Amino acid sequence: MIEAFFEGLLLVLQWKAFAFMLLGILLGFWVGLLPGLGGTTTLALMLPFIYAMQPIEGFAFLLGMHAVVATTGDITSVLFGVPGEGTTAATILDGHAMAKQGEAGRALGAVLASSLVGAIVGAVALALAVPVVRPLVLSFGSPELFMIAIVGLAFIASLSAEGARGMLRGFLAGGLGLLVATVGQDPQAGVARFTFDSLYLWGGLDLVPVLVGIFAIPEIIDLAVRGTSIAGELPAGRLSKGAFEGVKDTFRHFWLTIRCSLIGTFIGIMPGIGGAVSQWLAYGHAAQSARTPEERKRFGQGDVRGVLGPGAANNSKEGGALIPTVAFGVPGSSSMAILLGGFFLMGLVPGPDMLTKHLTVTFSMVWTIVLANVITVAACFLFLNHLARLTSVRGQLLIPVILVLIFVGSYTSNSHYGDILVMFVFGAVGYLMVIGGWPRAPFVLGLVLGKIAENYLYISVARYEAAWLTRPIVLVLLALAVGVVLYPLIQSRRARSRKAQHA
Amino acid sequence: MHNRASLILGVAIMICSGWAVYAASGWPWKAALFPMVIGIPVFCMAAAEVAWVLLGKNPAARAMDFQISSDLPGGLVIRRTLLAAAWMLGFFAVIVLVGFPVAVPLFVFLYLRLQGREGWLFSAIFSAIVWALFYAIFKWLLNLPFPAGWLF
Repeated sequence: MIEAFFEGLLLVLQWKAFAFMLLGILLGFWVGLLPGLGGTTTLALMLPFIYAMQPIEGFAFLLGMHAVVATTGDITSVLFGVPGEGTTAATILDGHAMAKQGEAGRALGAVLASSLVGAIVGAVALALAVPVVRPLVLSFGSPELFMIAIVGLAFIASLSAEGARGMLRGFLAGGLGLLVATVGQDPQAGVARFTFDSLYLWGGLDLVPVLVGIFAIPEIIDLAVRGTSIAGELPAGRLSKGAFEGVKDTFRHFWLTIRCSLIGTFIGIMPGIGGAVSQWLAYGHAAQSARTPEERKRFGQGDVRGVLGPGAANNSKEGGALIPTVAFGVPGSSSMAILLGGFFLMGLVPGPDMLTKHLTVTFSMVWTIVLANVITVAACFLFLNHLARLTSVRGQLLIPVILVLIFVGSYTSNSHYGDILVMFVFGAVGYLMVIGGWPRAPFVLGLVLGKIAENYLYISVARYEAAWLTRPIVLVLLALAVGVVLYPLIQSRRARSRKAQHA
Repeated sequence: MHNRASLILGVAIMICSGWAVYAASGWPWKAALFPMVIGIPVFCMAAAEVAWVLLGKNPAARAMDFQISSDLPGGLVIRRTLLAAAWMLGFFAVIVLVGFPVAVPLFVFLYLRLQGREGWLFSAIFSAIVWALFYAIFKWLLNLPFPAGWLF
């Protein structure tokens, strides 16, 4: 096993495999930076090119590209408040807030360092967990997976705003997200739901235009209203400083980073839940780590922990998602489904063979994830000062460029003008939410989870009727959801009584 | 402003969720299950939010999210917001009329000249650079399809 582990490294370091990995990293780097252009789409576009490659080279190319997309996507999220990737939207909340306070360097340092830690944790999990994870995955049926979705939503809805009314708005936003996810042809009966007789809506709403609209439009309007640069009137010298402080933040909150990496890995392992969910759960967990309600108020205003959590989780999920893909041939996400196609193109069959006969190939994947992230993070640190200085560029120059990127990014989802209209509609919704003090995170999580949750709920009801509610893991997860909802209320009541005692 | 936005959102969600539940009542249970399970509580929560706004009770409910800048006069904020929205809608209209490859440099140039009050030469060079990057990345490298506009 140890031998295969190091043999995997040597195979990746062979010049041809290494060169393909670098090419993949270069592609992934730009795909991550550009809003809208997804890592999954690019993976599909690049799949035909691996025909002529050896398995190690093919995986070095594909995984090298895919492993860095979330890392560079975080950069766009932090600097411009536009999600570089669907999986990097959560970084906007605190990362962009930090950039606006002139701490872009620190936010970038934190997000890159946590991304690297996350990627390593995910890769280590992939190396260690393959024999252990089988019973875990098999013990989770549709009822349990539905409950994970509910716990996730309860988690973020209860923590994303202050007080009972804030919680109501959090759940309302989450519910709205779930409801919006039902647009399109339903998978069970084939009924066209809320499609207004439009063929465009039959396939449901694509995540990219919705995310771009709900996050980018309010930020652009705010930038236009302020009439300054992203970092406002702050002196340019401060902007690029603090990158090392961001790295130190990662180690200052090291256990939080590790815990969020593990959340990402766990969600990655669970088939069908996907990477877009893990970032929000990690964000919710980071917010929950605040000891007092006052401390929690800083989240959304530029708390570095709100950057570390999602940064770590959206990278660690790759290693996690590879576990069921490699070990059982069950892809954990759409990108893993495409990668599964890559296995077959290169003549490999996922399953027990990958843990015995082709163990070196499996370990080469582990090394590719680690090396690709190390190289990307190192390259990003070289340009960090220049990247951070983008926040001091006048808004009047940035706005047309960002608008071009978000319009093209949204349009490329389905190559349909409807994508841009969807972006406008959800831009208006996002703007009203920001003005009204509603949290946007639960809405996005609801939207991401909607289709998965509906599918699992339907299977649970059809298969077990009401009895699915009595399954032991379901009950545990239900108790967890209730606990998650009650925790902030208990915490604020305790803080109030403590204050009263002191007074 | 804060309460008005909440009221608009609350009422809009009530209408949407109410309509969703009504529409779902005519579908087979397989298709109606999820919209019903979600739509009914969403309607009730939206009604509670609307009642909260109308009753005038406004306890602290700050979201863990970014706050719009509030240090400018209200009239100026509204004017600039409407102007930004108009530029975005205008860009969309130009895309539909002449297609992306022409609309991108045209929009960037007009924005820089009219909104940014930049000089002719700077606006022209900047627009050309944006167009070249757009063309190199999206057209040449990624070969993404951009249809022609309605006019040409």
